[in-house]
Amino acid sequence: MKRYRLLAFSGVGVVAILAGVLFFGNLNDNLVYYLTPQEALDQRADFPDGRRFQLGGFVEKDTVVRTQDGLRFVVASGTEPGSPSVTVEHHGAPAQLFQAGIGVVLEGSWQGGEFVSDTMKVKHDENYQPPDSGGDTP
Amino acid sequence: MSRILFGRRLTIAVAVALSAGLVAAMLAPPDRVQGNLQRLMYIHVPAAWLAYLSFAVTLGSSVAWLWRRQMRYDRVAAASAEVGVFFTGLAIALGSIWGKPTWGVWWTWDPRVVTTAVMFFVYLGYLALRRATLDPTARARRSAVFGVVAFVQVPIVHMSVVWWRALHQPPTVLKPGDPSIDHVMLATLLLNVLAFTLLYLLLLRARTRLAAVEEELETAPLGEGQELAGSAVLAPRLERS
Repeated sequence: MKRYRLLAFSGVGVVAILAGVLFFGNLNDNLVYYLTPQEALDQRADFPDGRRFQLGGFVEKDTVVRTQDGLRFVVASGTEPGSPSVTVEHHGAPAQLFQAGIGVVLEGSWQGGEFVSDTMKVKHDENYQPPDSGGDTP
Repeated sequence: MSRILFGRRLTIAVAVALSAGLVAAMLAPPDRVQGNLQRLMYIHVPAAWLAYLSFAVTLGSSVAWLWRRQMRYDRVAAASAEVGVFFTGLAIALGSIWGKPTWGVWWTWDPRVVTTAVMFFVYLGYLALRRATLDPTARARRSAVFGVVAFVQVPIVHMSVVWWRALHQPPTVLKPGDPSIDHVMLATLLLNVLAFTLLYLLLLRARTRLAAVEEELETAPLGEGQELAGSAVLAPRLERS
């Protein structure tokens, strides 16, 4: 019984330490899956040209232009006009669901004032509607 | 009730519900953004739901074992965990298949995906622990404690998309407020959740019965004076006997 108590106490201790590190340790920089355009602009100094990170936001309408090996478009923090935005130069094929207005997560780095990416993931939302119904499009 | 749960009717109910669910999934309207790809939801979501349900049943019967110390609770806990591991794996595989055309990648280090994979491996560890402990009482006690502690992951998996920034979309149905899904699609989804839940009951029942028979076999005395494989071979001895 004593052996079990020791095991249980050390188990609880390990779990408590892990939870403490997870919630109060400064792991957040590594836990964030992507930066929004607003955060990317604010933290521009921390990410010199060539340092890779993921940038996530919405593809702004009427900004998508085809280039020789990919696309150029603007990614904004929100869908409303005037929200902070970053011009993106994407090399490679767009994801299948890529379209104006949809959420994307891009992997790449700053190059001057532009974000150059080579990997694109599409982030669709939790709303499901048949095609002919009204309402807001993503 | 007991005739429905223990008789052959359950098998028939599962077959009917699964067929109806499949037909409904084919007939439901496609999604505006994802088109037909969205139909994967009708099996991906029920599979993930069964993972939650199985591990909740494992939690419940683990607590019941710790409280009452009856072996049948241990059998239910083990059977449910086994079914849960299978459906967690299925949810991950289907999510990957869904992810490739919609997200563009098979795998990503997204909080929901990673926490689900961790849950899968931890419950694999639960099954391994059961295999590694020979004494039935010690096995039941250790796995009951494991089954209680490991359940903490289920709320973490479910809330991961809310707590952390993720690629996986947040919950559609299991959230406060009106489900943000067309109601025909919602009905189809709920039908499939029901069908999978019945399938879960069937699998749980089969696995629990099998465990009971296995246990009986394990504790049955080797017939005295009976030669196991002819007189040339000595009967093998169980380590703990």
